[in-house]
Amino acid sequence: MEQKILKKEDIGKLYNEFSSEYKFYAPIKQKGNIVFERIENPDDIVLDYLNSRIPPKSILFPQMEVLFEYKLDDKDVEITDRQDLDEKFMIFGIRPCDAYSYELFANFFSFHGNWKDEIYLKKKENTTLIGIGCNTPRSTCFCTSVGGHPFNKENMDVFLTDLGETYLVEAISDKGKEIVKKLSWLSDAADKDVKKSEELAKKAEESFVTQIDVDTIVKNLEKSFDHPVWDEISEVCIGCGSCSYLCPTCTCFDVIDETDQYNNKGRRVRIWDTCQSCLYTLETSGHNPRDTKIQRCRNRIMHKFSYYPANYDLLGCVGCGRCIMVCPANNDLRDHLAKIEKIGKEEKEEKAVV
Amino acid sequence: MTIEAENKEIEASIRDVAKKMLSEKQVDVIIGYSQGTLPLSSTPIVIRNEEQVDNLIWDNLCYINLARYLAPLMPQLCDSEGNALKIGIVSKGCVGRAVNLLAAEKQIDLDKVKMIGFNCNGNVNRSKIAMEIGEKEILDVSITGNEIIVKGKDWEQNFPYSEYINELCKVCQVKIPSATEATCLGECQQLESINDEFADIDEFEAKSTEEKWDYIKKELEVCTLCYSCRQACPACYCNLCFVDQNKPIWFNKTTEYTDIFTFHLIRSMHLAGRCVACGACSSVCPVGIDLNFITRKLEKIVKTRFNYTSGLNAKTLPPMMNFKMEDAEEFMLEED
Repeated sequence: MEQKILKKEDIGKLYNEFSSEYKFYAPIKQKGNIVFERIENPDDIVLDYLNSRIPPKSILFPQMEVLFEYKLDDKDVEITDRQDLDEKFMIFGIRPCDAYSYELFANFFSFHGNWKDEIYLKKKENTTLIGIGCNTPRSTCFCTSVGGHPFNKENMDVFLTDLGETYLVEAISDKGKEIVKKLSWLSDAADKDVKKSEELAKKAEESFVTQIDVDTIVKNLEKSFDHPVWDEISEVCIGCGSCSYLCPTCTCFDVIDETDQYNNKGRRVRIWDTCQSCLYTLETSGHNPRDTKIQRCRNRIMHKFSYYPANYDLLGCVGCGRCIMVCPANNDLRDHLAKIEKIGKEEKEEKAVV
Repeated sequence: MTIEAENKEIEASIRDVAKKMLSEKQVDVIIGYSQGTLPLSSTPIVIRNEEQVDNLIWDNLCYINLARYLAPLMPQLCDSEGNALKIGIVSKGCVGRAVNLLAAEKQIDLDKVKMIGFNCNGNVNRSKIAMEIGEKEILDVSITGNEIIVKGKDWEQNFPYSEYINELCKVCQVKIPSATEATCLGECQQLESINDEFADIDEFEAKSTEEKWDYIKKELEVCTLCYSCRQACPACYCNLCFVDQNKPIWFNKTTEYTDIFTFHLIRSMHLAGRCVACGACSSVCPVGIDLNFITRKLEKIVKTRFNYTSGLNAKTLPPMMNFKMEDAEEFMLEED
């Protein structure tokens, strides 16, 4: 593995190397929040952040995305597919949890039989991730409980570690090796740099305060569909969609056609949907199987911790803790999972008493 | 008295009244605030028996307007036959205003709702604090004396409460619910009218059209249309919001600025003369939009034209829902 050193003041230089070839995204500060945006001035890039308020999922899966445009006349339909799918993306400064969420998306968009979502998959293929390790995970983070790690390099092309004065640069994938090769002006890393990065990774791992027994939760959920715990979990939920909109793994979308007033040309767009909305799964008959917030809250947790493991043998949560941070009612996912984890235990205790 | 001492007093009075209400079976459940799991927040709680009463708190971090849980009716707040339970509701002044508004608009039956009133001393402006702290994790927030103490792993920062109180709380004139003893235990007062101050809006109005447009565009541009503001708003109780009407579709749900702008424009128009100035919309917005600023402009118009302030009693309907023969309508005749 090639290991190099990037000086903090040379981020602009790195940006200049790639900004014409790639659509270059990185974290910046916007209205007090960290968000990933297309960079115009590399001085805006903020790398010493905890985690972005809004996940970078929207770079590859925008909240609103045109699928194709169409023209209609009496006889025929003319469809124009997306022409911009060859564009290359570079996402700089992404955290391991968010990088893994792209893998979950790719799985979702290619899993269903022979159908593959070309738009997402093509964009992902054309994306290069220069990630950065998480020196200071938040107290709400729990990636280590869901199979992740603050220094997980697996889904990255290039991996950075903030060593204080400099960044350690590691090429991970073949794509990443090409990138590092292009940055010929990088200096070589010394053994002490590599050692320091290992220490930082260990320190970060040890700093996690939230530990969740996911295996028990997955097992308990299989038989808890009608459990009264859902009444409790949803009690103070106000039914907004923040938790799912700001979730890096929430994939649900709605498809709408927007036409001109004569109905002879238009575009088909997909927009984010959320299981917390009253329109979600509303059937044409007017019936909605998820009619109350109890059912909607259940769906969100079931989807990530039960349907995902059952359908894909994966967990639908990367442990970023954004839903915990953002909930206006402070309706904490960690509390919900703790309640679910306890389900079997209480019954066992009751039985033991009898 | 310091803010810390006031909080202790308020908390004790809330618990006393709550205990009394439950023991005398005046209510079946009580909605209040409890300790949150995150600093700079609290979480609403539904109390069902006297033993749980000590979970009720007051700590200037109680943002959600609890009247939100009254309408639309929560399934958890009904008995097994679907009838509404008798609910006690911890009421700062703006929760009281919302309860009155919902009663006036016939959304709740005041016979089934009892307020626990107290003299609210405001909420912390958490977005201002979070903004100033920046990218460091806040692990603990407490009020000592008149200071907000914010702590992280190896740092501490103090903020004077008087400066870091919510802007709306600074100018609030309804700190105690406006109600009678029949509907409100604890502290209450009967207000006929108030003299709201709109200095911030006056300042905004003095700007040029372009500046105003730029400000609103900049604020709203980052909206993700998650509808948290609508969901947190006690006055937004429609069974089906206009954005969710899909037969036919009234409203496009893309994130293009026109759609975002239309949503906020229509929502604020629906709130004209109905907003209870609780600031829940601004405090819950995940991207930090000061939504209340827009509704405040409409409040000012309603105040100037109709001398009306929402939620001061449970009878008077807001002007936009009411019709009077003597209503001024010179604006219809204006020629220019």
